[in-house]
Amino acid sequence: MKNFKLYILSGLLFIAACKPEIHTPTLSKGTANFSRFIAVGNSLTAGYSNGGLYLDGQLNSYPSIMAKQMAQVGGGAFNQPLFTTAQANGSGYLTLTGFDKSGNPITAPVTTDLAVRGEYNAPGFGTVVLYTKYTGDIENYGVPGIKLYNITTPQYGNYNGYFERLLPGDGSTTVLNTDYLDFVTAKPFTFFTDWLGNNDALSYATTGGAGDVLTDKTTFAQLYELSLQQLTASGAKGVVATIPDVTSIPYFNTVTVAAINAEVASTGLKLYVNALVSGTTYAPRLATNNDLIVLTFPTSMIGTMVTTPYGPLPYGLTPVTPVDNQYVLDANEVALTRDYVQSYNATITTQAAAKGLAVFDAYTYLNNVKLHGLEIDGISLSSAYITGGLFSLDGVHLTPRGYAIIANEFIKAINTTYNANVPLANVASYQGLKFP
Amino acid sequence: MKKLLLLVFALMPVISFAQGFQVNLEGEKQIGMGHTGTGLVQDGASVFFNPGAVAMLPQNYVQGGISPLLFKSTFNPQGTNVEDHTANKIATPFTFYAAWGPKDSFWKLGLGVYTPFGGLADWGDNWQGKYVLESLNLKAIYIQPTLSIKLADFLSVGGGFVYNRGSVDLTQAIPLTNSAGQDGQAELKGTGKGYGWNAGIYIVTEAGITVGITHRSEVNTTINNGTALFTVPSSLSAQFPQPNTFSSSIPLPATTSIGFGFYPTKQWTLALDVNMIGWDVYKVLAFNYGTVEPAGLQNTVEQRDYQDAFSFRGGAQYKTNKNLAIRFGGGYATTAVEDGFVSPEAPDANRAFVTGGLGYTFANHLDLDVSFEYEHVMSRDQTNIQTQLAGTFETNVYIPGISLAYHW
Repeated sequence: MKNFKLYILSGLLFIAACKPEIHTPTLSKGTANFSRFIAVGNSLTAGYSNGGLYLDGQLNSYPSIMAKQMAQVGGGAFNQPLFTTAQANGSGYLTLTGFDKSGNPITAPVTTDLAVRGEYNAPGFGTVVLYTKYTGDIENYGVPGIKLYNITTPQYGNYNGYFERLLPGDGSTTVLNTDYLDFVTAKPFTFFTDWLGNNDALSYATTGGAGDVLTDKTTFAQLYELSLQQLTASGAKGVVATIPDVTSIPYFNTVTVAAINAEVASTGLKLYVNALVSGTTYAPRLATNNDLIVLTFPTSMIGTMVTTPYGPLPYGLTPVTPVDNQYVLDANEVALTRDYVQSYNATITTQAAAKGLAVFDAYTYLNNVKLHGLEIDGISLSSAYITGGLFSLDGVHLTPRGYAIIANEFIKAINTTYNANVPLANVASYQGLKFP
Repeated sequence: MKKLLLLVFALMPVISFAQGFQVNLEGEKQIGMGHTGTGLVQDGASVFFNPGAVAMLPQNYVQGGISPLLFKSTFNPQGTNVEDHTANKIATPFTFYAAWGPKDSFWKLGLGVYTPFGGLADWGDNWQGKYVLESLNLKAIYIQPTLSIKLADFLSVGGGFVYNRGSVDLTQAIPLTNSAGQDGQAELKGTGKGYGWNAGIYIVTEAGITVGITHRSEVNTTINNGTALFTVPSSLSAQFPQPNTFSSSIPLPATTSIGFGFYPTKQWTLALDVNMIGWDVYKVLAFNYGTVEPAGLQNTVEQRDYQDAFSFRGGAQYKTNKNLAIRFGGGYATTAVEDGFVSPEAPDANRAFVTGGLGYTFANHLDLDVSFEYEHVMSRDQTNIQTQLAGTFETNVYIPGISLAYHW
């Protein structure tokens, strides 16, 4: 009987070793070559998340996720200008600490273990925060805040602390004469992602049209052509992405005119905004649902008494005291921004096609997500603030899960254009927003 | 300014158990012959296979068997070369039968306890489909008292009442990350019950061919007051009220069978069975929670739209001498799960199986039977319309079995 048991046991062990073998698809780099892959872009490319750039976000940047997948088809090392673990919180960022009684999120800034080394006042520009220098190899050239407009500016490093951080020399004391485009193309590379251009529209939009200007369409087209020329000059292949409709992000869709009007309905008053009439002329008018209030608008200001020539009046609720321009991307500004973004995107797709580059149409993709939500592997995602799972606490940048989804969309575009089979990343293994 | 943000966590655990979960392991002699037996009189397992045939048993029977089942499934997510595997866990479908009647009388009483539906799949908490399913342990135990009556030497009928005790234990990850970076988790655990019946007719034709026709009814199994455990970040605990309960009901489908027995020589028995499994009744799966939360946990109703399934089985037994029987068989079964509804609980597809077995009779009263079944669930490339989990499932099932039958 003892032997009998042994037979059964060994039989079961044998069976346990027999897994069904699926014929998995063969991976391939197709006609692309990922031996040195560089990522060109702004904060989205850098892994910016929750209102800051920090180590955890960098480690989940979409280029780093792509590089991991490319490594399975001959991709080389992918170095990012990571913050050290001692300064892991980089620029600092927002965390969610809970919800108040009304269910509104409470956030707090992280201010410890930062990589801030100081700040200086750039003449004619303003305060530039400086970060601990990074001196190692770089494949991820994402620089938060950079516009396409800036890529040929020789002294750009003197005005952007994130770029300054990557360059030799102290930007607060010396003139840095390396422009972004030359910097990223200095060393040979075989493949690139290029997701520049967002800030050319976004910087205008997030400040309610008050803090910045939209990059001229012709200038955008000229710079885009120049950048693609330089990126493809040595035969590198690549993938570019279009610029999302700024209204597809929760930054503009979370605090709404309708919600504010509902809150103040009992007073009989309604929300007024200072809206664009034409050119640079602004005038107060009743707010409509087509006016977008920015996420950072301190809603507690509404109704507080403001001194005016007509006596004290409630903020935001009279034509004399409209919500300030910087908090509202009004209907005309929305239309203007959209018109510019569509023009930029026409430039991007046309010029990418002319160079035979792959295109990830982020504009269409994120608009679809806004309209229909997104279901992936049992995860229901949407463009909603906090609950949607895609966007981080700043309402503009993504969560690691959001970046993994973007990485997969880039990979799909690469696979299609270059007849490749780069494996997709497992979205479920990347985290969403962290809740306390 | 208060409610300016409306935060609704529309996260409903998507639970979809009961799928292709029929376990065809109801007697080692029968498993050895491709799980045929509707048209045969073999032993006490006729209580399950054909209650009509119980009265034809030449002796009384008490018997028990167990078929440790290893369900090995692999998933290849679309667009990758990754393979996710289920953990090695052994399910234990079992049978107990008794058939008794006075010597040479026209009737017999029977009792069957068996496990016609079940599932055991453990994909772990680290695979691509973890938000669909981490693990599932589903069992249905049928208890069936039976009466069988011989109307003539060539005709007998029988029927039984079925009480089902079902249990489910299911876990899945919830896509809400806590500050330590861990997922939330849902666990649904409960027992339920259902009732049904089982009837059959057994005919010995003049040509010597035996024929059985049976119907096992649908058993609608309801779980009330199951435990619904949600582990989520503490700031979201209000969205997932605890403690909580759930209720749900699943229709375990009816099976209609016809089977034939052929006896070309004294040594050989050949059998053929065709089953129609009425999965068509499984249209939706509804889950209701004891406490729901408008901005969080919601009741769910999900479409299932199963289709009727068929299985075709054949088997043979060769008696080398009075005491030793060698058996083999096989079959093919069509899937109940339509395209777009395949999910990791039991990644169903058309399946083929082969079986073999040995039987030895000790001292005329005691049968020792062993069986082995290998089942291959065909590879199926699917995108689930609800969860969008996309990829290829392929499954092998390995089932050794052993039983003892005492007869007098």
